[in-house]
Amino acid sequence: MAQKILVIDDDNHLRESLVEVLDMEGFSCTEAANAKNGIASAKKNKPDVVIMDIQLPDSSGFQICQELRKFSKDFILIMMTGRFLSAEEKTQGLSLGADEYITKPFDIQELSIRIRQLLSRKGITK
Amino acid sequence: MTEAPKKRGRLFYKFLLIFLIVSLVPLGIVGYYLVNLSQITLNKAISRDQEALAVGFADTVSSYIINFRNVLFDAAHLEDFSSMNTAKQQGLVSHIMQLHAAFLEISVINADGDETVRLGRFVHESKMRDFSNDALFAKVMRAGEFVGGLEKYMGSYPAITMGVQIVNPVTNQPVGAVLAKMSLTALSSLLKTGFPEATHTQAAVIDSNGFLIAHSNSKEIYKPDAKLPDDVLRILLQNDAKTGGGEIILETTGERVLGAFAEVTELGWVIYIQRSVSVAYQASDDMLKRTWRMMLIVTVFVLFLGYAVSLVITQPIQALREAAIKLGEGDFDYLPDLSMPNDEIGELAHTFMQMSESLKVKTAEIMSAKVELERLNRSLENRVEARTRELKSAQDELIKKERLAAIGQMSSVVGHEIRNPLAVINNSIYFIKTKTNATPNPEPKILKHISIIESEIRQANGIIDEILGYARTRELNPKVMHLNSYLEDLTMSFPVPPHVELVKNFAPENPAVSIDPDEMAQALRNLMKNGIEVMPEHGKLYVRSELVDAGTVRIDVEDTGCGMPKETAEKIFAPFFTTKARGTGLGLAVVKKVADRHKGRVEVSSVVGKGTCFMLYLPVLQNPPQAPR
Repeated sequence: MAQKILVIDDDNHLRESLVEVLDMEGFSCTEAANAKNGIASAKKNKPDVVIMDIQLPDSSGFQICQELRKFSKDFILIMMTGRFLSAEEKTQGLSLGADEYITKPFDIQELSIRIRQLLSRKGITK
Repeated sequence: MTEAPKKRGRLFYKFLLIFLIVSLVPLGIVGYYLVNLSQITLNKAISRDQEALAVGFADTVSSYIINFRNVLFDAAHLEDFSSMNTAKQQGLVSHIMQLHAAFLEISVINADGDETVRLGRFVHESKMRDFSNDALFAKVMRAGEFVGGLEKYMGSYPAITMGVQIVNPVTNQPVGAVLAKMSLTALSSLLKTGFPEATHTQAAVIDSNGFLIAHSNSKEIYKPDAKLPDDVLRILLQNDAKTGGGEIILETTGERVLGAFAEVTELGWVIYIQRSVSVAYQASDDMLKRTWRMMLIVTVFVLFLGYAVSLVITQPIQALREAAIKLGEGDFDYLPDLSMPNDEIGELAHTFMQMSESLKVKTAEIMSAKVELERLNRSLENRVEARTRELKSAQDELIKKERLAAIGQMSSVVGHEIRNPLAVINNSIYFIKTKTNATPNPEPKILKHISIIESEIRQANGIIDEILGYARTRELNPKVMHLNSYLEDLTMSFPVPPHVELVKNFAPENPAVSIDPDEMAQALRNLMKNGIEVMPEHGKLYVRSELVDAGTVRIDVEDTGCGMPKETAEKIFAPFFTTKARGTGLGLAVVKKVADRHKGRVEVSSVVGKGTCFMLYLPVLQNPPQAPR
């Protein structure tokens, strides 16, 4: 069974395109356009990987980070950002449970490989 | 400065005036007094003299007349005469006339009034006259004798008539009379002798009616209307005194004269003597002249004296004045010689010298204070200028920073907003590429365009990276690095195309620097990239390091490209400035920013056609940890 990925981003085109290519890469994706739906979806579907934008309309990425980590530490959390992050921001994100940062635009193959590596390191292989 | 007009000190004139007053006024007063006194004295003396002379002459005249009367009287009393013998009388009368030239005419008249003898010098008529009714004869017969009857004999000679009784010596009875006319010209001769012309004195005899009997100037006598001036006559005739005298101003000529008179007793005549005042006052006039002369001499003397005194007094004052003028001009060192006499003026000069000394000291103090003040002013101005420059550059810096911050903010927003669509495009093209590759015979042109799109996405992303990289304000993360190894690593990892030859030459000192390796790498890579870009065919890229001084190291990145003009070189570090067809114009701006953030600086020197050299100066770290060997 394919690993489940939850993509949270308010940009519909980005979210949809990312879901498409990740599906194509062999992952099983669910999506959410905001924090609230994203958290609900995460609780319901128990994804192996969550890829989320660091800025969402209803909440900051760090808050969602905290929310998600409250009920599970077993999934991999990847933060997407369109800008440079300061060292503090990076540190804060990592301490709150983020596993990886990626800067838009990103190479899908690279992302795909990185997800697989992270999953295998965590022992989440299905 | 205008030279004051050289006036001969007023002091000189003052002295002169004072001296003249002091010397001439007393002299004048004394002179005037003496002249006056002498005139008064002379007046009195001469008047007295003249009076005495007049009295003397009165006596003389009286005696003269009496003498002739006595001659007649004596003759008439002679027996030969009283006998009335005509022949004898004739002889006697003739004898008398021979003896006394003054007798002009003598007649003998008998008691009946018949003329018996008639003799005259100018009478040649022998006709006897009848005197019985003659008043003169009657008078003589009654009174015994007569002297009078003044006349101008022959219209010219003053003459007098005398008559005496012929008395019978026995009976003592008058028997007749002798009448004689007598010339008085001799009196004039007498006066002339007494008062010659040289004495400037005139004398005259008049009778109580003003008839001019005699005059010292005999010409006066022979004038038909001979008489004394009216004003003199008035005085003489109205005066009751027997003698007198005084000063008279003659109305006719205005001449001042001293006059004196005396009465001739018995005859009722008056002797008048007059002398001109100018002659009379000869002595006092002399005195006046001498006084004037003396005053002239004194004036000349006083002029000299005044000049001498004023010289003595004004010379030192003049010298002091010159010194004061020099002092006023601020010339303290070349004051004229002020060696002065030992008196008040000397004291003044001494005081003046003391004053000039003190003035010199004070002026020097003031001058030095002024110089100090000027110096302080200048230093203040310099400081104000420097401060203004600092403020200006600080302001410029601030404006620049604000501008860069605004650029940074804008770039960040733009970059971020473009990255999202880029990411979407990237995902989509990946999808299309994957799907196309999965088909059995993928269209090569589609694959080519997919590849173009991918390349352009990378390009766009690179631009955004550059902009965000420049705008990013992250903390500097410096590390101590040894420059040689750092540069070595950097150049080794830098992809140099084959047509460019990389020449490395590093400072043997291998200085230690404190740098953020990532930022510095970005800056140096930008420089190297630029160098390679301007050498599209072939060329050399030099990377050098050199110790400029103990505290500074310079890193050169030099190419052998086309170079650039000076105007370009000046603007080359400004953000968004570019000469390339493509590019953000931020590469060198980043270099400058990095250099600034490392407390260094970047410079460029370029020669068109030869190449460009970028020089990055960095501070050398003092007392660094030992370099790994």
